[in-house]
Amino acid sequence: MSYSASAPRTLPLAIRLILGISTLCGIVASLMMFAAVLITCHMIFVRNVLNQSTVWQTEVVIYLMIAATLIGLSYVQKLRGHVGVDLLPTLLPQRMRRGLGIATLVVTAVMIAVMLYYGYDMWHFAWQRGWKSETVLAAPLWIPYLAIPVGFALFLLQLLADLWLSVTAFPMDAKGLPAIGLEMSEDY
Amino acid sequence: MDPLALGGLVALFTVVVLFSGVPVAVGLLIVATGFLYVFDGPRSLQALPELFYGDLNSFALLSIPMFIIMGAAISSTRAGPDLYEALERWLTRVPGGLLVSNLGACALFAAMSGSSPATCAAIGKMGIPEMRKRGYPDEVAAGSIAAGGTLGILIPPSVTMIVYGIATETSIGRLFLAGVLPGILLVSLFIAWAIFDTWRRGAAGVALSGVTYSWREKFEILPRVIPFIVIIAGVLYALYGGIATPSETAAVGALLCIVVAVVVYKMVQPAALWAVLRDSTRESVMILFIIGAAGVFSFMLSSLFVTQSIAAWIADLDVNRWVLMGVINVFLLVAGFFLPPVAVILMSAPILLPIITAAGFDPYWFAVIVTINMEIGLITPPVGLNLYVINGIAPDISLKKILVGSMPFVLCMVLAIIILSAFPSIVTWLPDYLMGPEL
Repeated sequence: MSYSASAPRTLPLAIRLILGISTLCGIVASLMMFAAVLITCHMIFVRNVLNQSTVWQTEVVIYLMIAATLIGLSYVQKLRGHVGVDLLPTLLPQRMRRGLGIATLVVTAVMIAVMLYYGYDMWHFAWQRGWKSETVLAAPLWIPYLAIPVGFALFLLQLLADLWLSVTAFPMDAKGLPAIGLEMSEDY
Repeated sequence: MDPLALGGLVALFTVVVLFSGVPVAVGLLIVATGFLYVFDGPRSLQALPELFYGDLNSFALLSIPMFIIMGAAISSTRAGPDLYEALERWLTRVPGGLLVSNLGACALFAAMSGSSPATCAAIGKMGIPEMRKRGYPDEVAAGSIAAGGTLGILIPPSVTMIVYGIATETSIGRLFLAGVLPGILLVSLFIAWAIFDTWRRGAAGVALSGVTYSWREKFEILPRVIPFIVIIAGVLYALYGGIATPSETAAVGALLCIVVAVVVYKMVQPAALWAVLRDSTRESVMILFIIGAAGVFSFMLSSLFVTQSIAAWIADLDVNRWVLMGVINVFLLVAGFFLPPVAVILMSAPILLPIITAAGFDPYWFAVIVTINMEIGLITPPVGLNLYVINGIAPDISLKKILVGSMPFVLCMVLAIIILSAFPSIVTWLPDYLMGPEL
């Protein structure tokens, strides 16, 4: 099992770079989730054992979870972990399957681009107007909101890399998507 | 446009978009965005990221990744085979002991790991060869493990139940308890059928005879299985003792399970730990993405008055409530054939729940009915993941034999739905007894 960008060397640098970035996103997202575990345990310790009140933990843990979700999107795309109804693709003959795979990638990329566009707006407003969360912590909201444009942008990059691989006749899996990262899902 | 006709249009588009093979979450976003754009104007799209973010902005949701990490830590160890062996050694005097220990181990491990395919793999790797060696028919061996694996989404702690609780704003603690007795009912039905089928196929002798183990062998296995069982029991105790919320107990459980995996199961290599985090992140991100997208989807439904008008329309139809429940069951069953449980629940709960409660059904009872329907989807084609897992660990049993072996268990689940419809108190008694009647 290798966790590095597992693409053959013949791929262009840009594609290898994107695959590498997506893996890095997976590591960051995993660490964020693990940090959420530790912080929640810390919160329970402070409240129930030390009998002190907790101020920042709940909010930070939620931010971490949301950020991990958004940052993790590209990695899960690379692992082909976003479930879909793959009945039709598996029934189609090879050529049509690739065509459908390309079409769904294009539609997905457009949808994510829309989310990125409005997500950037949302972050920009929060940053420009100095919005703060309505809690004791009063966290500047541009920090948690930053995960929205960043996460969707990275997801879009991975989708474009998949699209490029599809168009250049890269070997294809049963769903009609380029067969990268398959060795990683075997043990699942 | 009439909201009801609009609802039909939404349903049609959703089916078409999802069947194209796009990820479920993206499909929901596309349909929601498309309808908002056309019927509410382009300006409504500005709210998209806020809706998405707002739906994820909840501490209760944290219990999902936490329970997934807990399950992944348990699944990464030899706990499954150990559990199976322990039950096998202790249950030799029980008639059909091997089947009982297989299905029992499935139920327990499915509850601990919360993952249906992981359960099939962990228990089936040892259980299926052992059953075949002792002369059980292939169909029984494969079918019982495939069916046993599905129990994880019903028996607590269950991620599916958490998602239902969040989507319907019902108590997660109460939902967990509601799944216990129906879970035991299902296991009993499974065992009864497996023993009967073995006898019917003329292998009664093997089903009833067992291998004997010494007391030493019986006791030496216990230290390997007790830690995880204690953690799960502790998590559930903390939940019901009102000591902590589901998210908090799940986080402690996740940390403890990782510690046990490292200390008891000697999982010290960084690669093994990373595999646990990677697998749970993959699963959590997939589910949370669907939750965020489903939030946007249900906002679209209610902002175009689809949800409300469907509920009003059903109320006007004035059909018998059991006919209504029958139709809903067929819908859930068909949806479960194609979609993962989490997606079905998130998409349909906002529409179905008002209809259900208006017809006088208990939302906790309905949660169990939904979940059993989703379990059926796990062992029926085309998505039935369990079938493929069994095919992977026992490649010489044909997919057809696995299917034939699993179908009777599907009927057991349908029978369970009928029994629970006749006696709803099997679901509601335990939560009412332990937590008091719902206010």
